[in-house]
Amino acid sequence: MVPPRNCQSSTTRRDCLKLGLGALMGGGLVDALRLRGMAASPAKGRFGGARPTNCILIWMDGGPSHYETFDPKPEAPAEVRGEFQAIETAIPGVRFSEQMKNLAAIADKLSIIRSVRHNQGNHGAGNHYMITGAPPRIPVGCGAFVSFHPSMGSVAAHERPAPDGLPGYFSMPSMTRSGGPNFLGAKYAPFVVGGDPNSDGFRVRDVAPPGGLEIERVDDRRALRARLDHFKRFADKTAGDPASALDEYYRQGYELMDSPEAQRAFDVSREDPRVRDAYGRNAFGQRCLLARRLVEAGVPFITLNEGGWDHHVGIFDGFKNRMPRFDASVAALIQDLDQRGLLESTLVVVLGEFGRTPKINKDAGRDHWANAMSILMAGGGAPRGQVVGATDVYGYAASERVLGPENFVSTVYSKLGIDPATALVAPSGRLTFLVSDPNPIRELM
Amino acid sequence: MRLMIPGVAAVLGLVGMVGAAGAVEPKSPITFERRVEPILTRAGCNSGACHGKGGGQNGFALSLQGFDPTFDHIAITRDVGGRRILRSAPDESLLLQKASAAVPHGGGRRLDPDGAFYKTVRQWIVDGLPRDPADAPKLVKVGVEPAERALKPEEAFELRVVATFSDGSTEDVTALSTFGSTESTLVAVDADGRVKAGKLTGEATISARYEGLFTNCDVFIPLAEAVPESEYAAFPRANFIDELALAKWRKLGLTPSGPAGDATFLRRAHLDVIGRPPTPEEARAFLDDSSPDKRARLVDALLRRPEYADHWATKWMDLLRPNPYRVGIKAVFNLDGWIREAFRKNLPYDEFVREIVTAQGSSFEQGPATIFRDHREPIEIAPVVGQLFLGIRLDCAKCHHHPFESWTQDQFYEFAAFFTHVGRKGTGLSPPISGSEEIVFTAKSGALKHPLTGAPLEPKPLFGEAPVSDDPDVDPREALARWMTAPENRYFAKVMANRVWGDLMGVGIVDPVDDIRATNPPSNGPLLEALADDFRDHDYDVKHLIRTITASNVYALSSEPNERNVADLRNFSRHYRQRLRAETLADAVGDATGVPDSFDAAPPGTRAVATWTNRTPSLFLDTFGRPDPNQDPPCERVDDTAVVQALHLMNAPEVNRKLSSDEGRVAALAAGDATPAAIVEELFLTAYSRRPAAEEAEIAEAVFRQPGKSRRAAVEDVLWALLNSPEFVFKD
Repeated sequence: MVPPRNCQSSTTRRDCLKLGLGALMGGGLVDALRLRGMAASPAKGRFGGARPTNCILIWMDGGPSHYETFDPKPEAPAEVRGEFQAIETAIPGVRFSEQMKNLAAIADKLSIIRSVRHNQGNHGAGNHYMITGAPPRIPVGCGAFVSFHPSMGSVAAHERPAPDGLPGYFSMPSMTRSGGPNFLGAKYAPFVVGGDPNSDGFRVRDVAPPGGLEIERVDDRRALRARLDHFKRFADKTAGDPASALDEYYRQGYELMDSPEAQRAFDVSREDPRVRDAYGRNAFGQRCLLARRLVEAGVPFITLNEGGWDHHVGIFDGFKNRMPRFDASVAALIQDLDQRGLLESTLVVVLGEFGRTPKINKDAGRDHWANAMSILMAGGGAPRGQVVGATDVYGYAASERVLGPENFVSTVYSKLGIDPATALVAPSGRLTFLVSDPNPIRELM
Repeated sequence: MRLMIPGVAAVLGLVGMVGAAGAVEPKSPITFERRVEPILTRAGCNSGACHGKGGGQNGFALSLQGFDPTFDHIAITRDVGGRRILRSAPDESLLLQKASAAVPHGGGRRLDPDGAFYKTVRQWIVDGLPRDPADAPKLVKVGVEPAERALKPEEAFELRVVATFSDGSTEDVTALSTFGSTESTLVAVDADGRVKAGKLTGEATISARYEGLFTNCDVFIPLAEAVPESEYAAFPRANFIDELALAKWRKLGLTPSGPAGDATFLRRAHLDVIGRPPTPEEARAFLDDSSPDKRARLVDALLRRPEYADHWATKWMDLLRPNPYRVGIKAVFNLDGWIREAFRKNLPYDEFVREIVTAQGSSFEQGPATIFRDHREPIEIAPVVGQLFLGIRLDCAKCHHHPFESWTQDQFYEFAAFFTHVGRKGTGLSPPISGSEEIVFTAKSGALKHPLTGAPLEPKPLFGEAPVSDDPDVDPREALARWMTAPENRYFAKVMANRVWGDLMGVGIVDPVDDIRATNPPSNGPLLEALADDFRDHDYDVKHLIRTITASNVYALSSEPNERNVADLRNFSRHYRQRLRAETLADAVGDATGVPDSFDAAPPGTRAVATWTNRTPSLFLDTFGRPDPNQDPPCERVDDTAVVQALHLMNAPEVNRKLSSDEGRVAALAAGDATPAAIVEELFLTAYSRRPAAEEAEIAEAVFRQPGKSRRAAVEDVLWALLNSPEFVFKD
């Protein structure tokens, strides 16, 4: 079995485990973590010498309407325009939907891309295309969870190992449909943190030994486990031995248990209550805060999977219910990162599978529409306060500076310091390019 | 999951334009259905990503893959005032201008203006846009030559697709067909039907599609160097499974792994048949038994055990048992009990299905009635019945012609029409309680209208005949159930045989197990056929099916690969390891520690496998992948591993409590007077169903001699280590 890697001296490791048991000290933590985080993500120089950044990707599962978010069409007829007004933003002449009040106020920190389009009109396929940069190679049904290509998060974890036993890729509270590692293997699957970090006593489950167990026992058990396990493994990868995947998960589990950074980063209760309030005292708001803590600890990729944007029915009520809190939390995250000097090295991305149909349907909803969508990108050294591309006058389709998911994904990779033209070798021996069109969106670079 | 959809390349826009190469010079007259529609399909115009998607593309809508020629003819010739066609100057027709990208076209150039296809469409415009005459011969069959072929690495050949029409005439339609490969990295096929093997060995099925019909060519790239026939001859045959699996290995040049040892077989059979590893006493008895027929006797004994019913019923819970928040606690509990009872009395599978499909009565008394309380519309229940009991996925056909199969929207609605006389009285759904009783009965009237034409539809099976009684008191579902369970229905026995095979062997002969279609071929067709026939011929006795599979030498192979079968993941030349299902693993932890779980709202001693809803709180079961309680059945379950599972087994307070409990196995062993050696043997038999090897025993016994370590702590640590090993978590 693999010995614990990060806490070389047993004293240190014991401290970690104690930390895991809750003996946490305050003060100077954030700064310490930030320094570690920075030290842990040095420029690898593989791509353009850009200082690699970490990424928080907020996935609006279901496909948010571009009209009701970043691309309102106040001049369009009522059946396209919808109920909401367009409001001015901090970028002169650029308007958002009235539902995006907080983001509109900080639009001068954001880049909005209005002209990504693709051809996959259902959830499974749209998610696959946007999250991996590759169209699904066979038609995929709406409910499908498919994987033909590694997701951005898995590639980030593969190319940019996180420090101190932390997984390189987190997903909260669940994985997005195609957010898996595909041929990169179990090691690069997202570490899924379920549960509600807004609830009292929230803990990331099972990452510390059970209470009451002495450190000596923990050590003994691990050592014994390593020596007693004589179950045969089939080393040849083509054999697809699931026991080898489990080994990898035990290795990751040990690392996580042994990492004080991980244990601290998980503890959102250590934040100043005012900061917690600013993010919003709800599950999503506190996940945004947890994401910031993970970024500080050096995690390269964090996905927040937030469902509920598939508004076939009652889109206006749906937005009124949901968007104010969502908007406030995302804006708080971006502002907080900025105030802490982290926004330049953190890319925040907000998107879903596609946009929504121009004409409001009979149920006061909008249906799937991949011809137009809006994507928010902030930080990571991208110019601030700009809109890239445009849809036509009524928002039917991307019409200026038309871009594909490949360009979007290449942009994220470039920001992460990963060359989007990288080719990986799949176990079958097949050479697989990360992205078929490795050109990032130049306005963001 | 392995799916294959011909025309994928076209869907993804990779085909590029379709030119003259290989195109067939059309015989006149050029009519729409016979000559033009296939060109639109071949060029990808009516694909799901372009004009074939609902609502079309840029205002031009065609039926998906050309399943509705009347619609398409109108769209091309009459919509937008007929401006897509200009007969006086055919080359100026928008149809050709766009398709050849003479004017800007989002889909690029699909037809080469100098190619035969372009000329055909042009000539059709000149001829006056004729459709096929009503009496024109209809397409009845598509075949491919060759239907099977062995290749060397990097060898190539060309496929020939031949269409047969109702007048007996045939035509080479290769140039008008679209192609796909199940494993394009192993065997690629290009847009013109040229097949080329890659560098690796393996197999793939190449599928060709012409006008909604599919045909397959199986391609093998056997391992280099022939296997001496004597090696295959030496493989012992217990029954037909061994013969047919071997025939396939021979084709691919695979050689089987060796036989599994007694301990492995014992644990495997226990977990497979009753979902529970043997107790240490059972393990000792089996291992020490030297009679030659002990494996067969073991399986027979297991099939008589009460645990058999819960284990097999719980697999059907994933498929049938609804969310109690939706349909009510009592109704769900009642269905849960009915399914368990069906397996307890070994209800023949055809009767099991007939009782479900024709369910009547109160949701409080008749278990299967709950299924009709859950699925309330004919178009909701029809795809569930199609998938679960026939392996036919009909969901796509609800809205449009099935894109990778031959089922049409008409067929879907006619099939759904069998459920139009399902009457309901009492109180319907009122989530989140839905506590009331509802009664399902045969309504005297009821009809289903075609969603497009509005025409009322008569019940009609997907193939064959299922005459519905004229008597209004006889539910059309009776006719459906007769047709489904008739011996000549090839799908019915196949899907269940395949389901059980997949459970026991780790992967179905068709995978996913209930998705039987030309484009998802079985890895061993003859084996699936024979298994289905045997199941049918033994009156759909599920226990007989399990006995037959477990009696084969294929079932009893070791999981350890050899040089020639290491890459085999579909042909059963070795056993495939499976992680234990969530419930099985939870119960195994309870048995090993001697501290069972206790579940809310369930009597003491209720095992995880006996919980009546996935809403019963259990972090363990959630962590190990039981279906999400909010998911509607049929649910897919992923028996995958994840880091949270490793962390849970290592650290979960609930698991640790079982190890340290005063009531459990650890406390009892520590308190007794057994020697460390005896305790270690007991723990190995408990966790792994085998005795420890000398080296293992020594490592474990040393823990008892560790300074400062209490006897109790030593037992705990050894058992912790054993439970946190893949040998415990997997069925080998």
